[in-house]
Amino acid sequence: MSESQSDGAGLTERLDRLRVEPGNLGVSILDLVAVGVFFLFFLMLVAVGVLSLNYGMYLLGLAGMYGFMIVGLNIQWGYAGLINFSVIAFWGIGAYAAALLTSPGSPHDLLLSPVIALVVAIVAAAIVAVLIGIPTLRLRADYLAIASLGFAEVIRLLFLNEREWTAGSRGISGAPELFEWLPVEPAVRLLSTTASVGTARNTVVILGLLFIGYVLVRRIHRSPWGRVIRTIRADEDLAKALGKNTYMMKMQAFVIGCVLMAVAGWFYMYAFEYLDPGELEPLQTFYVWVALILGGTGSDRGSIVGAVTIVAILEGTRFLNEIDLVVALFEAIPGIALNVSAVRLLLVGLLIILVIRFRPQGILPPKEELIWPGAAPDDSRSQERQATREQRGVDE
Amino acid sequence: MSEATGESRSEPAHVGDDEELTATRGTADVNEIPLRVRNLRKTFGGITAVDNAGFEVERGTMTGLIGPNGAGKSTTFNCITGVHTPDSGVVEFNGTDITGLEPYEVANRGLVRTFQIARELSEMTVLENMLVAPKNQRGEKLWRSVLAREDVNQQEYELVERAWETLDFFDIDHLAEEYAGNLSGGQRKLLELARALLTDPDMLLLDEPFAGVNPTLEERLLEHIHDLRDQGYTFLIVEHDMDLIMQNCSKVIVMHQGNILTEGTPDQVRNNEQVIEAYLGGEV
Ligand SMILES: Nc1ncnc2c1ncn2[C@@H]1O[C@H](COP(=O)(O)OP(=O)(O)O)[C@@H](O)[C@H]1O
Ligand SMILES: [Mg+2]
Repeated sequence: MSESQSDGAGLTERLDRLRVEPGNLGVSILDLVAVGVFFLFFLMLVAVGVLSLNYGMYLLGLAGMYGFMIVGLNIQWGYAGLINFSVIAFWGIGAYAAALLTSPGSPHDLLLSPVIALVVAIVAAAIVAVLIGIPTLRLRADYLAIASLGFAEVIRLLFLNEREWTAGSRGISGAPELFEWLPVEPAVRLLSTTASVGTARNTVVILGLLFIGYVLVRRIHRSPWGRVIRTIRADEDLAKALGKNTYMMKMQAFVIGCVLMAVAGWFYMYAFEYLDPGELEPLQTFYVWVALILGGTGSDRGSIVGAVTIVAILEGTRFLNEIDLVVALFEAIPGIALNVSAVRLLLVGLLIILVIRFRPQGILPPKEELIWPGAAPDDSRSQERQATREQRGVDE
Repeated sequence: MSEATGESRSEPAHVGDDEELTATRGTADVNEIPLRVRNLRKTFGGITAVDNAGFEVERGTMTGLIGPNGAGKSTTFNCITGVHTPDSGVVEFNGTDITGLEPYEVANRGLVRTFQIARELSEMTVLENMLVAPKNQRGEKLWRSVLAREDVNQQEYELVERAWETLDFFDIDHLAEEYAGNLSGGQRKLLELARALLTDPDMLLLDEPFAGVNPTLEERLLEHIHDLRDQGYTFLIVEHDMDLIMQNCSKVIVMHQGNILTEGTPDQVRNNEQVIEAYLGGEV
């Protein structure tokens, strides 16, 4: 061990100490501090009036929803190397489960509880994932990519054309209150008298679920299971040669990811109270992929950062035509009108190029945090070994 | 049979008395012959890569499989380990038919291979590389890694301990916390073998373990393999360096154009006319 450490190393060391995880949650103090700072920043924006509280909470809910999809895709692509181009289809399975079973506008008039819809969404997504996985997961990764691309379109057309079942392009509107028993009202009233309690409750629900999901996902990611799944991504033949049933494990990763996407869709129906097959455009899948790559493929923290980033881009660009500088810029170029959705795509493309150029592994790439706590190198046994090793070095 | 030598022999290379040979066939057979390949045949389109190959590997020995390039060694290897399904023929391991099983099933029965080009997981530390190997880990079950974390932890400590011991045996324990991507070529070869050992194999199939290895490391690897052989592990080594195999294996199998040309002790093989012709007439 070298004694002379620069100030930079001292800082890393101090940061390392903050990586201690309270309560086995897979969330370090540093993470909690980062989240805290983020919420403070959010409240500041609300306080100075840049964001209205309602719109701000809506954005947080949206980020939570994207968070579920990105974490799900990260399990598939980031952990296991599975290429899934049907993110939005599984999202759609969840969204339609919520709409058809619980919405007053549903053609079936069932008005079931959102909890039942959540269970149905999860089970349906899992079954469909297995059905897609059976023929494709034994083959090379590109087969799943192609199959999922086709499947996404099949699902979209199915929801569009089976009008009697899905209300088709007319869409389904209206949704019951989500988890009405949650006592969020007093807290909201503390902040504002005009804020929507429903939006606040939705946001609390999705962020709460995301936190639980995140902790569980962290556990499996760092477990021996996660170790094998990462081996599969790096070198599947090696995993097989070491006796791992790679097909089964890829199937598990694929199913978990798809289930998380369905949860995102389920939530959407309660946040937006309207759903039609137009939401199932492939562009949405693309955004989730972009978010994952920006955040850091294979990184759990990165997935969350990616969710915030993509919401900032998608929603931020809506106000481009309110920024004088941008408007002036576009007016200066003759023959080009300011088209928000085109500029949005342009910005996304630019961001991808910048990240790939300067930070190819994403904003927060995965690293040493992946090791299961029991196997972490900083335990006392490791120091003992270090000592004996040094002793032996002296002897020789 | 008055002397109980037949059971505990670790060096069955010197085939002398017929009496003992007949005695070991039958039930003791399986104990002595972990791997038996019969009439193996594998074609790729029009090419017959392996044609009616058959051989046996005795327990606790180092057996060499040699032959010029394109002889069918790798294909034979792949048929044994489940990477390819043979067109016909039987592969028996420890007395059970394993023909056509998936690679992971073959490995789980204790027949484990290494790769010609070492396959380290460069994004993981050496220790993590090692920890992938042990089979049937509790934490490989999803629900356990989420809910029964104490169980997983406990086993993980045991595995870490074993991994350290094995790294120590190979003298690469000082690299345990290094990312495997930073290892030298030779260190990767050692890691590859160390990791295979952690799967608790009965028998190891090594595909050209000495290819691209400098003489010093070659010496070191050989020493480790001899040590392990003495501990009771069985080795089948594919290699095209004939001298190396001749000096280290008790039995040599020679393949040529998909067939088993001959097999026997190094001396028998060295003096075989056909072998000389295959090597001198064909390649080299
Ligand atoms: N996957 C494959 N597809 C087609 N031909 C193959 C394949 N693998 C091996 N072969 C052919 O089979 C023969 C034996 O090859 P191989 O088993 O690799 O020999 P060796 O390992 O002894 O050099 C060669 O002629 C080779 O070209
Ligand atoms: Mg070969």
